[in-house]
Parts: sequence; structure tokens; C-alpha cells
Amino acid sequence: MSATREGYRGLIASLVLAYLLTLMPLPVWLDPARPYWVALVLIYWHLEADRLRHLGHAFALGILLDILTGSLLGRNALGLVIINFLLARFRSRIRFFPAWQQALVIGALLFNDRIVQLWIIGLLDRGWPSWSWWLPPLIGIMLWPWLFLALDAMRSRQRKPT
Amino acid sequence: MANSVSLEAGALRGVAAGTARLMFYSLLAIVLMTLDFRGAYVQRIQAAAGGLVEPVLLLIDWPVVGLRSLSSLLESQADMSRQQAELERELIELRAGLSVVDDLALENARLRDLLATTERLEYSMMTAELAAVDLDPFAHRIIVKRGRNDGVEVGMPVIDARGVVGQIEQVYQYSARVILLSDPDHALPVQILPEGERTIAYGSGALDRLRLTDLPMNTTLVSDQLVVTSGLGGQFPPGLTVGRLAQITRLPGQAFATAEIRTTAAMTRNRHVLILIEAEAALVDDALSGMADQLSIEPSPSAEDQADGSETAVDSSEAALDEPSADQEPTP
Repeated sequence: MSATREGYRGLIASLVLAYLLTLMPLPVWLDPARPYWVALVLIYWHLEADRLRHLGHAFALGILLDILTGSLLGRNALGLVIINFLLARFRSRIRFFPAWQQALVIGALLFNDRIVQLWIIGLLDRGWPSWSWWLPPLIGIMLWPWLFLALDAMRSRQRKPT
Repeated sequence: MANSVSLEAGALRGVAAGTARLMFYSLLAIVLMTLDFRGAYVQRIQAAAGGLVEPVLLLIDWPVVGLRSLSSLLESQADMSRQQAELERELIELRAGLSVVDDLALENARLRDLLATTERLEYSMMTAELAAVDLDPFAHRIIVKRGRNDGVEVGMPVIDARGVVGQIEQVYQYSARVILLSDPDHALPVQILPEGERTIAYGSGALDRLRLTDLPMNTTLVSDQLVVTSGLGGQFPPGLTVGRLAQITRLPGQAFATAEIRTTAAMTRNRHVLILIEAEAALVDDALSGMADQLSIEPSPSAEDQADGSETAVDSSEAALDEPSADQEPTP
């Protein structure tokens, strides 16, 4: 009973941190490289703990992100729903990949998301993004193993509190 | 056999259900985006979400402000005194300039009095600090730390030291969201200075550029001319700097020439901006009121009632006597 509640605490803490990191001000030159934190955390919980696996979860998280960042309502929601759908299809396979291969697959998911977002931005006539548009998935690939280890460590500590 | 078939059917149904759910949520997202893009249908949702957004934004802002004040504490005294000397020098220079401007303002007021034109409305400024929050770069919005408590209202113009930044779009309790000029949804009535040609500048989606899309083909504009707000529309006071013309293109076969404006305001790179309060633009500017005099249209409908009062009212009632038809135009 208490274990699940602690699990929730970890889940919520990691999500809040992801949102804060998304909104945190960065220097102008570093800003385009900001990774898609919310997607990374969502992917972790779905992949490793089989939580947040419903499309509704992804939709709600995306809407929250849209409201917080002031982007078009539903843009990130669509992106996260598609990520969660693809992940649900291939989860049983990706889970047992070695870490670097897993990172590549997640990079592919994030690239796909960028393409979806590019399509939306193109429809809106908001101007063509520069090459740095494709930077966040690359950062995501490099970040994934470390994020994985950090969240895993947090979860195992919560499972058996000493 | 039957068992395996039913298993397969179950798996198929699972996939189909997953796809159906994907379709459902994608459709929902697309409908939301369309509503958001098309108009104010979801404004109410966003206004309601303001209560949720604001604490998060201020929560992020808080440690950054703390860090900044810490770094200013650690700044060396030599640096500080040098900065102070610099600022003092700047202040003296600006004061000297201001006395000239004051004199000009007085002269201008006297001239306006002579011409019996409408007064320019006064407005005051409120400095507002930008919240240290990075929003979606494609949203063209910034957050300022002034809100309903400080008397900020929707539609107030926001400027910085070099030009117009945008206008208030949404007001929270302690903060407000500003839509930048560069947002493709934003249109600003402008005037291009030496000629005084009026047109409308649209946001281009790039932070430092605006678009003029409906200039006449035979326009005499050349690049590097100054663009200011025209004050038409009543949202912005006239005469605020917007930017400089960058290039004019006349595509053969098109009905209109187009041009680009380089904005002078620093947009998102500011630390502070100014919010103009009670900046109701004079609805009738010089040219229009001049035309009104010639056409003997009364400046206000109640002018006849107070005909024995001010001189201008007498003038206009006399003019109305000359051409009584002007009065009866509204009631056919």
C-alpha cells in the first residue's frame, strides 16, 4: 500500500521536474538544444514501469505542457499520444535491448515526433525552423542512458527504504 | 483450432482498439488545435488555466531571481561604482535632452490649441520585469511580472526603450502574458514616416521581422525609412517606433508590393519592458480632423447644446447652419 504511494511520489516528482526543466530559462545559444524532457520521462515510466501507458495519460500531459508553454493547444498532446502509441506497440521488444540500442530507438521516436510537430508548424505558417530544430532528439539520445540510470536509482531506493 | 482463432481475433481486436484510441485522441488534439488557431473558442480554457499556470511560472522565476541577486551581491565594488558613474552621466545627458523635449511639448500644445484639434491623450508607463521563463519559441509570447493587482488590463501596449514589443494578451493575478508583434496572428496599424503612408504590419513568425503585404505597386517607399505606429484602431498611441523598412519587393503579376520591417525592439532579449496605461490613442488625428473641419462634421454630437460655451462649439454650429444636410445624414 505504502509502496504504491511512494511510487506515485516518484512519478509525480519526476514529471514536475520535467516540466520545470522545460520552462527553465536557458542562455539563448543553449535554448534550441533543450531536450524534450516530458517525453523522455513519459517514455521511461511507460517502458520500464508500465505506467502512464494509456494514450489518455499522454494526452493530459501534453495539454498541460501546451498550456504551460503557451504553444498551440494540442500540439504537444498529439506528439505525446503518438509516442505513447508507438511505444505500446513495440514496448515488449525495446525493453530488452541494450542501453545504447534503446537510446537509438528512443531517438527515432523523438525524431518522428519532431516531424509531426514540423508538419503542424508548417500548416500554421509560423516560419521554417532552422537546423537546430533537429538538435533535441540528438540530445535526447545522449541523455537517455543517464536519465534511465537516475530514475532507476530513484525507484529502487523507494522500493526498499533504508 | 477454435481457441487459436479466437486468440488471434482477440489480438486483432486489441490492435484495432489501440488504433481507434489513437485516432480518437489525435482527432481530439487536431480539433483543439484548429479551434485554438481559428479563434477564441479555447480562450476560456486558457483563462481558467491561468490559475494553474501562474504559480508554476513564478516558482521557476524565483530561484533565477535569487541567483541574479546573489551574483549582484558578489559583484566587485569597483565594477559597481564604475556602473554608477556611467549611469549618472547618462542621466545627465538624458535630462538635458528632456528639457528641450519639454519645451517642444509646450509649443506643440499651444499650436494644437490654435488649430483647435483634439488633445493627444496622456498616458503613463509602468515598468515590468520579464519572468525568467522560456516559453515555446514558436508561440511568440513573453510573461511579465505585473498583473491584475497592478492594474494591467488586456490590450495595453507594451514597449521597450527602442520600440513597440507587443500588447497584453492575458492577465493573471501577479503576472501577464504579452503577445509579440512578430506573432503571425498580430496586426499593427503603422505609418511610414517621411511620406506618412499608412498600412498594416503583420507578424512574420520571425522574431525580428514584420511583413507589409498590401502596399500599392507604385509606392514611393525606400528601404531604411522609419516605421511608427499610426494610432488608428485605438489600441496603440500614435508615434511609437516600430522599426525600419528592410526591403521592398514588387513581384510582377501581383496586385500589391510587399515589404519587410526590421523591428527595433529587443523583443525577448529584454530584462524590463514598459506597459502603457490609459494609452487610448486619439481617435481623430490631425489629417482626419482637418478633413472634418472642411466637411463641417461636428466634433461631438452635443456641441449644439453647449453652443454658448466654447468658441469651437460656436464655430461648428455656424458651420452646421451653412450646411444643414450634414446634420441630417444619419437619419434618412
